[in-house]
Amino acid sequence: MKRRQFIIGTGALAAASRAAQAADDVVIGVVYPLTGNGAAVGLDAKAAYEVAAKIINDTHAPIGVAMGKGGGLDKLGGAKIKLVFADSQNDPQKARAEAERLITQDKAVAIVGSYTSATGATISQVTERYEVPYISADNSSPSLNQRGLKWFFRTGPHDEMFTKGMFDFLADVAKKTGKPAKSVALFYEDSIFGTDSSNVQRKLAAAAGLPVAADIRYRASSPSLSTEAQKLKAANADVLLPSSYTSDAILILKAMNEIGYKPKAILAQAAGFQESAFMQGAGALAEGAMSRSSFALDADKLRPAIPVVNGLYKAHNNKDMNDNTSREITALLVLADAINRAGSAKPDDIRKALIATDMPGSQTIMPWAGVKFDETGQNTMCNPVIQQVFDGTYKTVWPFDLAAKDVVWNVGS
Amino acid sequence: MTLETVLQVAAGGLLMGLIYALVAAGLSLIFGLMDVVNFAHGELMMLAMYAVFVIWQASGLDPMLQLPIVAAMLFLGGMAIYRGMIARALGVQFNRGMVQIFVTFGLAIFIRGAAQFVWGGEFRSVTNTWLSDRSLNLAGVYFPLPQLAAAAVCLAAFAGLLLISRTEFGKALEATREDREAVALIGIDRDRIFALGWGLGAGAVGIAGVMLAGFYYVGPNVGASFALIAYVTVALGGFGSMGGALVAGLLIGEVEAFTAVVLEPSLKQIGVFGVYLLVLMFRPRGLFGKL
Repeated sequence: MKRRQFIIGTGALAAASRAAQAADDVVIGVVYPLTGNGAAVGLDAKAAYEVAAKIINDTHAPIGVAMGKGGGLDKLGGAKIKLVFADSQNDPQKARAEAERLITQDKAVAIVGSYTSATGATISQVTERYEVPYISADNSSPSLNQRGLKWFFRTGPHDEMFTKGMFDFLADVAKKTGKPAKSVALFYEDSIFGTDSSNVQRKLAAAAGLPVAADIRYRASSPSLSTEAQKLKAANADVLLPSSYTSDAILILKAMNEIGYKPKAILAQAAGFQESAFMQGAGALAEGAMSRSSFALDADKLRPAIPVVNGLYKAHNNKDMNDNTSREITALLVLADAINRAGSAKPDDIRKALIATDMPGSQTIMPWAGVKFDETGQNTMCNPVIQQVFDGTYKTVWPFDLAAKDVVWNVGS
Repeated sequence: MTLETVLQVAAGGLLMGLIYALVAAGLSLIFGLMDVVNFAHGELMMLAMYAVFVIWQASGLDPMLQLPIVAAMLFLGGMAIYRGMIARALGVQFNRGMVQIFVTFGLAIFIRGAAQFVWGGEFRSVTNTWLSDRSLNLAGVYFPLPQLAAAAVCLAAFAGLLLISRTEFGKALEATREDREAVALIGIDRDRIFALGWGLGAGAVGIAGVMLAGFYYVGPNVGASFALIAYVTVALGGFGSMGGALVAGLLIGEVEAFTAVVLEPSLKQIGVFGVYLLVLMFRPRGLFGKL
């Protein structure tokens, strides 16, 4: 007994002395486009990470998510997460340089990023070289986790999973309404995101026996998309599948409207279509558009933490969480949970803890089954949802058991 | 490809080409006058677009009614830029060419950063204007009203620039362009002509910005993609030539539109730069250049 008491005693003493030391902050680098064409998304992302850090670090009433009890990392003596932001300007080479700077100068023990897949690709090369974990919150290109990287972890779905969800939805909606889509049109920007997305869509369309009526690769941020719109009109497919960032998403809707064309159904690969700037810019033209999403703001019955976290985010950034910002908050919470379980801020320990992650969906704000990484670093339990615009806001319409609204399906009528 | 598609694409190229031409006109005017390339040209257009957005948001005033206000603001802004920065850059003794490049280049980056600071990185749009989201349907070919109005205003602006060149001031402008040292001898205030030239150049791109704001999103980087095309337009049409800018703008609009049809949309700049290189090879001074 004495021996056991002694062990407990010294354990408590050690814990007390550890707490007495001011626990060192754990520095996490965050790379996003904070200026330039992606700045709107990047600045929202910055706000999202700040909210996530607040949830982890501050003292507050417990929130029903991982690390939601606040007060810092308890297994590291209450150490706080310290975020250092870097601006990639949406340029893969600048992203690479900034990631390197964060690791070598700011001593970041992990990097989180980075919106566009092109920047995610270069950042994850740097983290691999320096042996620091890279948490991909919102890069959705499927090729990213297929490069044999040991330090790459993606908490959100990639476009193949997203796209599979989109085609599952098309099959389900055909069953439900009896009006199957008979053709699709691919419309995608010419960087890694659009190209990868279209490759998967082409493959899955072939598998589903859906003819591709138009296959249009366009130059991102073009001054005009009127010819592209004309091509889409000429093809007049049942479902338009755009993979576009915000400015192009606004522009193509306007360009199609200008030539008197309204596709029967738009099913977007999120990105620009999920941005609040898109909703403002496209206005009534966005009505009825559908988009895949990894997040459902209206799924608060399933995930009671959503309104709480959304309240914090809204107070901080004056808008609701969206597909991107929710994934960003989740990414940091998953990373912080791993660091805490590791009980160490050493990159190697963090990596081991990330590999061991097995978080149930109820510990997140996402409609996912959970967070669990496969050997490529991909979370395999993040199933997407399909949302549709009703009066300027996205409502979840699929999976049908999660739906907040009945889908409006104009194909075949 | 159906006839309808061909006509629709041609119409789109024509309308966009006129916008390109008007953006390029101001750039060409300033360059022709004083051999200074204004790298902040696209940013001036972006400022005009934001001005439209801000006034529209505050008062609901339709962009068409804002045209004289914003054009006047840009005119004064252009003169201020000349007086405050360019005149000083022209006065330096060493590396004058470099200084002139970097002063407008720096200005461009400053304006872009300031716009993001003030208005954020969000894309914004002026909606529910008199013309927005409406089109004229001519035998199956659609002409969007905002772009049609922009085209008309653009042609009017070119006519205006032509009229100005017939006036006393226009002659002084031409004379200053020909020999900036000699005009001082006959009592022309070179500084004043330059300042007015900058005012006109900025005013022209301001008009383009106002019309563009009626159907295009506004963001801190919106000027960049238009500016690139404007430089090509100016070089293609001939430095300093107004008529050249008009023809080159239309040419680029059509080449861009049809490259997107014949090749693929992601390659449309290949057509534009292909034509540009061809013209440079066989006619380095541009289509209508006087140099």
